[in-house]
Amino acid sequence: MDSVPTKPRRSLVDRLKDIDRRVIFVFIAVAVIIPMVWPIGLSLKASPPSRALFREVESLPRGSVVLMAFDYDPATEIELGPMCLAFLKQCFRKGLKVVGLALWPQGAQLARASFSEAAKGYNVRYGVDYVNLGFKAGGIVVIDSLGKDFRESFPVDVDGRPLSDLPLMKKVKNFADIDFVMALSAGDPGLPFWIMIAQGRFGRKVGGGCTAVSAPMLYPYFPNQLVGLLGGMKGAAEYELLVGEKGPATRGMDAQSIAHAAIVFFIIIGNVFFFISKRKQKLMGARA
Amino acid sequence: MTLETFDTTFGLWIGALLTLCIFSFLYKDNPFYRFAEHLFVGVSAGYWLVYNYWNIVKPNLIDPLAARRWQYLLPLALGIFMLTRLCPKIGWLSRWPIAFMIGSGSGLMVITYLQSNFLEQIKSTLVPLDPSGQPWYVLANNLILLVGVVSGLVYFFFSKAHTGVTGGVARIGIVFLMVSFGASFGYTVMARISLLIGRLYFLLHKCAGFI
Amino acid sequence: MLTRASVSFAGRRLLHLSMCVLAGSLVLCCQALCQSPPSDTPPFPATNLVAKDTPDDDGGSITLSWTLSADDSGGKNDVIGYEVRRSKDPNGPFETVKSVSKGTSGVTDESKVENDAGYYYQVVTKDVGSETPSTVFGPIQAGVQWFNLGRLNTLIVTLIYITLLLYFIVQAKKGAKLFIRRIAGLDALEEAVGRATEMGKPILYVPGISTISDVATIASLNILSGVARTVAEYDTRIIVPNYDPIVMTVAQEVVREGFLAAGKPEAYNEQDVFYVTSSQFPFVAAVDGIMVRERPATNLFIGMFFAESLILAETGASTGAIQIAGTDAVAQLPFFIAACDYTLIGEELYAASAYLSRAPLLLGSLKGQDWMKMFLIGCILIGLITLNAGYDGFKSLFDIPLTIFR
Repeated sequence: MDSVPTKPRRSLVDRLKDIDRRVIFVFIAVAVIIPMVWPIGLSLKASPPSRALFREVESLPRGSVVLMAFDYDPATEIELGPMCLAFLKQCFRKGLKVVGLALWPQGAQLARASFSEAAKGYNVRYGVDYVNLGFKAGGIVVIDSLGKDFRESFPVDVDGRPLSDLPLMKKVKNFADIDFVMALSAGDPGLPFWIMIAQGRFGRKVGGGCTAVSAPMLYPYFPNQLVGLLGGMKGAAEYELLVGEKGPATRGMDAQSIAHAAIVFFIIIGNVFFFISKRKQKLMGARA
Repeated sequence: MTLETFDTTFGLWIGALLTLCIFSFLYKDNPFYRFAEHLFVGVSAGYWLVYNYWNIVKPNLIDPLAARRWQYLLPLALGIFMLTRLCPKIGWLSRWPIAFMIGSGSGLMVITYLQSNFLEQIKSTLVPLDPSGQPWYVLANNLILLVGVVSGLVYFFFSKAHTGVTGGVARIGIVFLMVSFGASFGYTVMARISLLIGRLYFLLHKCAGFI
Repeated sequence: MLTRASVSFAGRRLLHLSMCVLAGSLVLCCQALCQSPPSDTPPFPATNLVAKDTPDDDGGSITLSWTLSADDSGGKNDVIGYEVRRSKDPNGPFETVKSVSKGTSGVTDESKVENDAGYYYQVVTKDVGSETPSTVFGPIQAGVQWFNLGRLNTLIVTLIYITLLLYFIVQAKKGAKLFIRRIAGLDALEEAVGRATEMGKPILYVPGISTISDVATIASLNILSGVARTVAEYDTRIIVPNYDPIVMTVAQEVVREGFLAAGKPEAYNEQDVFYVTSSQFPFVAAVDGIMVRERPATNLFIGMFFAESLILAETGASTGAIQIAGTDAVAQLPFFIAACDYTLIGEELYAASAYLSRAPLLLGSLKGQDWMKMFLIGCILIGLITLNAGYDGFKSLFDIPLTIFR
């Protein structure tokens, strides 16, 4: 009688090397959820680009006008929203005037929500201390037009009010009346265009906040073309620390750190198993 | 029901349900994921149609023409030429607006990029290499910067095969490239985890109230 | 007639009035004591006021500079700011055009400055209770400069670049042999198409999520042309989902021509080159769905990509397809390198496009860019040598704006 052929037994290394990705998903989910439910309070330090941005804004005299670009959408709100709030709170605390605009369509609504949230607890008034100019399609062309006159691209604010009715906009005509540009960007159009035009062509000081994906691409601009840069949720948490206002980014740092540790563990384990498996194949090949 | 109450009740539950439908793809493809995917595709197509009309076509074409600014007939004509793509016999007309867009776009961008990404970056690469005037780690950083820039440029030099000295320098360049890609990968992993944290915070805090 | 009652009433009125005056005086004295005491001497004036036409602009602007008052962060240290005043007459009247805080020694006046009109300026130093005007400077006129000398370096570099490009394009058109080294990822293309044919599965080609004016999209469509011809020769199906409707129309033409060039125009199916949506994540959700349902043997991600790149590459990897990617999006290259079998890194995408098509324009452009890189390396080496030899004049040639003419 013929014996039933049996499958060769796979070693532990081979089985772990080909582990179902869903197991890893579960580990990552647990690594994120547990620190959110039971916060650990890991320490956080601000990096040089974040500190440079903070110092630059702190050095602005009271009454300086800051142009803030909300070039992002709800998909990246978790990274850029907290840095936006921290920045606005710093501006309102220092008595800086903020002119907001958006080159992304949903940016105008996110700006409205951010202004409303940040203004709580500060004696600031719309039209006097801050203005939301809304969204304008056109990207780099819009930025270029701000060098001549804001009214070319933004004749009215986000609610349709003529700029002549807003006290803050009476003294802001173009880039020459802007003391600092802060661009929060999630992609294109975004921070690189603000650097090229606002800094390169009109000589304005530009600071930026970006998603972690874009940060490596933007670091070459720091510090000569960009006075400071906040990269991702970590950058937002650093800025919350500097401004002294703990917010959603700081809350997420524990989960971020534990998840990163889990990923590093899997990378190391994966590479160890890969090299063990490769060595085994070499040995088996040599024996054959 | 006002917009604010929709946001915190029915809207919240729709958001949670669709989030879970998309997350279900992590297990395997299923009808819930496909439903959410098709809904997303359909809604976004409708959204961008409305967006394009109200933010691009109307303010930049219809309103100026209504105000009798007849020079806007030229972009209107170019736009119509673009649509002739759909008719094979006169589809060649669409090359004109494409040529205009590419030409004007290139013209605007060449100067801007040469200024900010070429001249300014050359300036940033000219760093002091004098060991006596600065701390050792600053000197090391400057040397790494210099070697990385030059070897990276040599890697992307296509006029000579990567053999001999050129090949050696190019190999150093690819090492620098891979290190920078690794750092970029790490940053992106951080970004994705941040998005996950955002979604889970939405589910656990706003929807379920666990935190 | 004065009566005792009337005198008494008047007296009470007078007393009340006196007490009010006294109270008011006391309040004023208290207010004055609480504020900084008004200066008994006016501050020292700002000196060395100079005004000049703002250089390298289109007029309407005058730049002023002055030496700070001796009482600004020194002396009595009671200066609170300066006012810049302007007039068309040296004797006034002067109108205030700008107010600046203490410590500021320069300002640009762009407040309705008429070109070619003569203006006279004075800077008034202010402290709490007094002010001192500087001597009047003028007349000065704002004017238009035809040439922005601050951008001369940009002009020179642009001319060098354009000259190189034109020279090599002309050489390529004349038929000169322009060498381009072999790109590793291109060898895998034909192998990947052959694999799909053997397995009887389609090829998925994603030309990126940018517009037709993006260089990466144009390079992708050039490569699609070559891929479409190979696919037609192998009798394999090619699926091309598009993010942009204009790119879709170009892609349809390119694929149709590829099939025509292979002698199989009837095999071309226009339904396989289609538009999905112009929204980033819905597009990738749809393409993921295609990958999971159609199970292509080969995925080609060539063009401009953004955050969706890893989702695309990972989903494709999970289906077991062979994947070749090519993009100049620096932020997305790591994911393609990690998740794909071959990756065209950055400019290799353009080189591949030129290598496959051998079009003179593409070849010439690539050679021009190569020589520009040599120029860049040369500038860096010369700059490093001169800077470290103690001369930073060469480095200042790269200032934006160029200041050596000011």
